[in-house]
Amino acid sequence: MNHSDRKYILELKNISKSFPGVKALSNVNLSVQAGEVHALIGENGAGKSTLMKILSGVYKKDTGTIVFDEEERNFVTPRDAQALGIAIIHQELNLFNNLTVAENIYIGNIPRKLNTIQWGELYKKAQDLLNSHGILLDSHTRVGTLSLAQQQMVEIAKAISKRARVVIMDEPTSSLTSRERDILFAIIRTLKEKGVAVIYISHKLEEIFAITTKLTVLRDGQCIGTYNTKDMTKEDLIAKMIGRKLTKQFPPRNVEIGEIIFEAIGLDDGKKLHNVSFQLHAGEVLRFAGIVGSGRTETMRLIFGADKRLAGELVVRGKKLKRNSPRNSIDNHIGFVTENRKEEGLILPFAIKFNNTIVAMRKIKKYRMINMAMENSVASKYVKDLNIVTPSIDQKVKLLSGGNQQKVVLAKWLFSDSDVIILDEPTRGIDVGAKLEIYEIINDLAAKGRGVIVVSSEMEEVMGVCDRILVMREGRIAGEVLPPFSQEKIVSLAVGG
Amino acid sequence: MSVLRIKARKGAVSIWNNMGVWLINIILLIALSFTTDNFLTSTNIVNVVRQICVNGIIALGATFVVLGGEIDLSQGPMVAVLGCICAKLMMESGMNYIPAIIITIFIGMAMGTMCGLIVSFLHVPSFITTLGLQYALTGIVLLITNSQPISGLSEQFTFLGRGYLGPIPVPTIILAVVYIIGAYFIKFTEFGRSVLAVGENAKAAEMSGISVSKIKTLIFSIAGLGTALGAVVLAARLGSGQPSSGTGASLQALAAVYVGGTSGGKVTNTLAGVLLIGLINNGLNLMAVDSAWQDVTLGIIIVCAVALDVIKAMRAATSVKK
Repeated sequence: MNHSDRKYILELKNISKSFPGVKALSNVNLSVQAGEVHALIGENGAGKSTLMKILSGVYKKDTGTIVFDEEERNFVTPRDAQALGIAIIHQELNLFNNLTVAENIYIGNIPRKLNTIQWGELYKKAQDLLNSHGILLDSHTRVGTLSLAQQQMVEIAKAISKRARVVIMDEPTSSLTSRERDILFAIIRTLKEKGVAVIYISHKLEEIFAITTKLTVLRDGQCIGTYNTKDMTKEDLIAKMIGRKLTKQFPPRNVEIGEIIFEAIGLDDGKKLHNVSFQLHAGEVLRFAGIVGSGRTETMRLIFGADKRLAGELVVRGKKLKRNSPRNSIDNHIGFVTENRKEEGLILPFAIKFNNTIVAMRKIKKYRMINMAMENSVASKYVKDLNIVTPSIDQKVKLLSGGNQQKVVLAKWLFSDSDVIILDEPTRGIDVGAKLEIYEIINDLAAKGRGVIVVSSEMEEVMGVCDRILVMREGRIAGEVLPPFSQEKIVSLAVGG
Repeated sequence: MSVLRIKARKGAVSIWNNMGVWLINIILLIALSFTTDNFLTSTNIVNVVRQICVNGIIALGATFVVLGGEIDLSQGPMVAVLGCICAKLMMESGMNYIPAIIITIFIGMAMGTMCGLIVSFLHVPSFITTLGLQYALTGIVLLITNSQPISGLSEQFTFLGRGYLGPIPVPTIILAVVYIIGAYFIKFTEFGRSVLAVGENAKAAEMSGISVSKIKTLIFSIAGLGTALGAVVLAARLGSGQPSSGTGASLQALAAVYVGGTSGGKVTNTLAGVLLIGLINNGLNLMAVDSAWQDVTLGIIIVCAVALDVIKAMRAATSVKK
């Protein structure tokens, strides 16, 4: 079939949208053909979400036209978009955990006769749908018992059941393991064969190259252009996204490794972790690799005192930690940037300055009272040092972009004088520009003689920013990898070779 | 023209955002002075101020609990129990009023702390814990008093509820002092900030080194303290320990907290809520509205006020969002 002849299923023409004080989109175009996987990329705040919200009927566009199936359409509510066959799969899934896969797929449209649910037909229909798209799930399973990746597949099946012709996926792989991601890609290919158009939003460039055929780049609310994916290189893409050439993706590392500042000896939580021991030096960036579920996050939570330690010792600068609580770890200068900043890292409805100082309120006290002037100057300093983009230090953190939120989390641990800083997936859901800034902060911390532990699933990222890699497998340290890092060695240790 | 109108609208919105319930109070104040003859008399004003004091003191305790993300339903019967205990200590144990008050406050804090410990360490939801306590206390007050009021309290004691310092009623002074202390705690202490953090996101607070169980226990101790102070002032005003006093006090206090709007963590919001409820009650009394209708009105106003607060918060969230 000749691609250029194929009609567009969806065309967005000259879409503009303003919010008070911000021009979020100006004259953006996006055309998608049936059976195409079309990437939409851009930094955070480039306008991707706004465009998708207009497409799904959540926001109203100011000007421009939406043509679907060669007819001009106006979406007033999300239901209008759904009725036409536009489905969105959000980062946060909208499923009912206590219902079965089949019920979730057909919710709102369950087969009935005389107002009575036809259970047999429901499960059969759902199973047929799953089978025909290569999704290996039993339609009787309760959704709450499924893994995140499987739940996402249920969400996709739900979209297909509504005869979706355009499926929008917003960062679909952000919490998937690489094996789960391969399954997702297989499903996307099936969708493609069946003539469904997929709009794929992701920050992960490898994925863009792996799965998409075309891509559209947005920057600052403007459409930079639409390209064939195979004609582009990674460097081209980054340059188009940020409007300048990134000479290097990772800042250079050149630091002096000092004495041991932290040591874990024989950690055990009685459940997942067994005999985890390692040492961390001042000025060192130590990375923890391993597949999701290998016990990396659990190790970090144990070190921080967030979970109960059954056996083992933690030693900071030669001093054994006696008690086991976040407060005790903080008092011994351990900081922990958790993997989910919105749930565990930040008090979202409160200001930057509140979050900045929450761990070390004692440092902004004068005459035993919290001193607002000191608080303001602390927050102003960190906003400037870490280049947090915000109108003011009084801004509520929930209104910041992901990258800036992450910087606020970092600011709070910097202000609390952490000597050992643990970062769990620090760049998840953050755009390329902000990622680079986070790496620079990590380097800077190491250069100042602090010890940094980074847990990350992005292979390339970690090889670029660390001095030493420990690989975990099934709750144990499987091995150590020293530079020059070999990806093969890391992977073989992680999966067990 | 339209620019002017937008400006006017923006101005109105920002006044509303900054003043909230205080603005409604002012409007109500003006409306009442025009629609009733007796509202603006000094006797009536002093009356309103005196009436809101007890509710205000109790509501301050409730504010800490609500800010910390919990709820306390036990304050009403606790007022009755503590008022009667205080009266009993003076009349039957022949105690001087100062140690009696101190013991009463101690018992109030102990009861609150017990609630807090049950909520934080046994993880029983505070709604259930305090509901249970509410029932138990309703029975206990009848047991310790044989359902009879304990009257004849000394004048030194009743001065706390009825007396004046110059033109200002003593309960009003107590109210002002506790609100200044409350505001200081919320705004200027580590404890106050920890309460706000725990109330918004307990998980993140725990991961920031705040002991959530300690904070959750302490907010109930403070509620117990507020209840005890309110009970003492009420007993002093009534001149007796009344087993039936304090009915509805927990709901009145919670209503004041929610009507005032807890968002932002200001204790003055609670004070505004207390004043609003006081003004409405007083206004309806002056207009000779049946007390049954007063309850109906109050119920509607509580829901409307909270709805307004939610709309305000939603608008603030969407207007800045990109």
